[in-house]
Amino acid sequence: MPEPVIAAQGIGFTYPPLTPEIAATPLFEALELRVGAGEAYAVMGASGSGKSTLCYLLAGLAPRYTGGQSNGSLRIAGHDPFAAPLPAGAVGLLFQDAATQLFNATVEDEVAWGLETLGVPSGDIGPRVNMALRQFGLLPLTGRAPWTLSGGEQKRLALAAVWAMRPRVWALDEPLGGLDPVGRREVLTALAALRDDGATLLLTTLRPQTAQLADSASLLVSGTLTPPQPPAHLLAAEPRLEEAGILLPRTRWPKVPPSPHPAGNEPAIVTRNLSFTYGDGRAVLQGIDLAIPRGRCVALVGVNGAGKSTLARHFNGLLRPISGTVTILGHDAARTAPGELARQVGFLFQRPEQQIFGVTVRDEVAYGPRCLRLPDADARVERALARFDLSASATLPPAILSYGARRAVTLAALAALETPILVLDEPTVGLDGRGWAQLLDWLAERRAAGTTIILITHESELAAWCDEIIALRAGRILANRPAATVLGQLAGELLA
Amino acid sequence: MSLVMDLYAPGRSWLHRLDPRVKLWGALWGVLLALLIPRPLFQAGFLLTLHLLLWGAGVPSARLAWLWRQLRVLLLFILLLQPFFAPGGTELLTLGPLRLTVGGLLSGLLFALRALTMTFVTGALLFTTEQHALVRAFVRLGAPYTWGLTISLTLRFIPALSHLFSSVRAAQAARGWMPSGSFIRRLRDYLPVLVAVVIGTLRMSDQLTLALAARGLDSATPRTTWRELAMRRSDWIVLVLCTLGGGLMLWLVR
Repeated sequence: MPEPVIAAQGIGFTYPPLTPEIAATPLFEALELRVGAGEAYAVMGASGSGKSTLCYLLAGLAPRYTGGQSNGSLRIAGHDPFAAPLPAGAVGLLFQDAATQLFNATVEDEVAWGLETLGVPSGDIGPRVNMALRQFGLLPLTGRAPWTLSGGEQKRLALAAVWAMRPRVWALDEPLGGLDPVGRREVLTALAALRDDGATLLLTTLRPQTAQLADSASLLVSGTLTPPQPPAHLLAAEPRLEEAGILLPRTRWPKVPPSPHPAGNEPAIVTRNLSFTYGDGRAVLQGIDLAIPRGRCVALVGVNGAGKSTLARHFNGLLRPISGTVTILGHDAARTAPGELARQVGFLFQRPEQQIFGVTVRDEVAYGPRCLRLPDADARVERALARFDLSASATLPPAILSYGARRAVTLAALAALETPILVLDEPTVGLDGRGWAQLLDWLAERRAAGTTIILITHESELAAWCDEIIALRAGRILANRPAATVLGQLAGELLA
Repeated sequence: MSLVMDLYAPGRSWLHRLDPRVKLWGALWGVLLALLIPRPLFQAGFLLTLHLLLWGAGVPSARLAWLWRQLRVLLLFILLLQPFFAPGGTELLTLGPLRLTVGGLLSGLLFALRALTMTFVTGALLFTTEQHALVRAFVRLGAPYTWGLTISLTLRFIPALSHLFSSVRAAQAARGWMPSGSFIRRLRDYLPVLVAVVIGTLRMSDQLTLALAARGLDSATPRTTWRELAMRRSDWIVLVLCTLGGGLMLWLVR
């Protein structure tokens, strides 16, 4: 039997302690992994289980650039990354958030950068850049700036920039994470091309769809990997995936009563002929007419760029209509300051790291109630902390928490406001099974209490869980109907 | 919208195509003129010329407006404070120990205009030069590659931080922040934003370290360059014009 391309034996890894008071606990203990040439291997693990760190270890970044302690033996493509830095281009790494691995000003420079690092002669760089761009369907984007691309395009560019360096081994960290259905299809095609190329792949994921790409799969639980098995077998064992905190099976979702229809009441949100154009002249919303009754749970769906987030930002006054009106519980949103609308509308933004500003978790959750001088602010804060299992970490800085815990902090900060309307912009991105359970339990509770909820999502199951679906396409309403009647038409195009 | 933005405004104008070393040289002259010529009228004319230059090079006016907005607080401070530090000439107003004079007002105007010309000179360089070209220019002028890269990455992450800043402000507003209370109170409201931006900077620089290392920044192999810089005839002409024009201005106007 030939030597495996990735061979890890008894790998242990511990990050340096985050604060002097907290002792460092090992992330991995006695981790075993063998991947043969040309194989694809999927590692499924919950948020904070160490999926990204595993990728960093394989790419020679941990502990060399991350700090921390490692032990055990690791061989990758014939090299020992613990002993010496890996040669440039030996292992290709796709970051979980591909945007953070792009640092050049144009798409073609991004691809050329690695070739310059490898010392490829100037004359050969151009053709190789072109080849990589063609391979990943990026030729039409050659002169574009990487940060203007969509999520799927950014992932493909990150793949192209690394592919040009011709690594034989790849570590792909959640390759389909955070993408809309179009982006997922694009990246799946790109991954299929890598497989056809004969590359050895290690994929980490929360999603069954990604695990299905692999020849074998393991669970990453409590710092060790379970023995490899065919992905279909692993995915069939739903209780095991639930126990590992990876998935929340559909059958375990909280049941919701049919939404109440308070007759004669004014709707929660009304828009009349709402249009919006950004400063660069891009029309994002064109004549939106909506009336969302109180107590209704609505999924707002559409491909990236359809105008979902722009529409939602009109509901809490962060954006003002260029023409038309937005009425929130009878108040004209254009005449109400966003700070005042915060009493009516709780708003969850997409990236937790761009909306957390508290020094401690408790500060963060208390900011809204204190700002609005809500009665019983302290009691609300403690209730919200307890609701999202944050009481124990209330005195910690949010920045040192895992992604899942930071998402919980942002939800608790909303929950403390106890607003009659909630607007959540892609709340499930990056959530593992436990995160889903926490989110859905809270939402079910709010629905029963008559809160009006607007969920921006690409997940068809979540959309189906709502009462209604509003689908946007190119800034116009494509459909606005009960979830059950419209889901079939939209699946595939707008939902995954 | 991604986390990372850039100052560069893509284009194919003559200013975009000019050799980055010539642009660096021109920017150096621009800063010298801003510093050495103490005449408000000259500085105002210079500022207007820079705007015409940038507009002619197809830099979007939104980009120029953005630069003005970034400077507004600084300009306000200069215009309010400088007059009292450099009194002279006819007296207009006396407030206790403070004297407002025509000379003082002109001095405030001059300093504000200087801040503007220097910013727009730098803007003319950064808006029309892509980061890759800037690194090549520094390296060809003798700086080690990592220095050039550091400078260009720093420039590139400034707008990213400004984006983070506005995201956090939006998050605050969404949770009930209202502009109210005294100046000090409002200033204190910015503290949490600074915390978020500092943490964001640390997070970004951590990720960037990994991104650069993952693509072999520390590789022992000598780097090659895809598009070598080569001075064309037009580059030489602009270089000579810049030098002669700048020198002449200094000699004539000063």
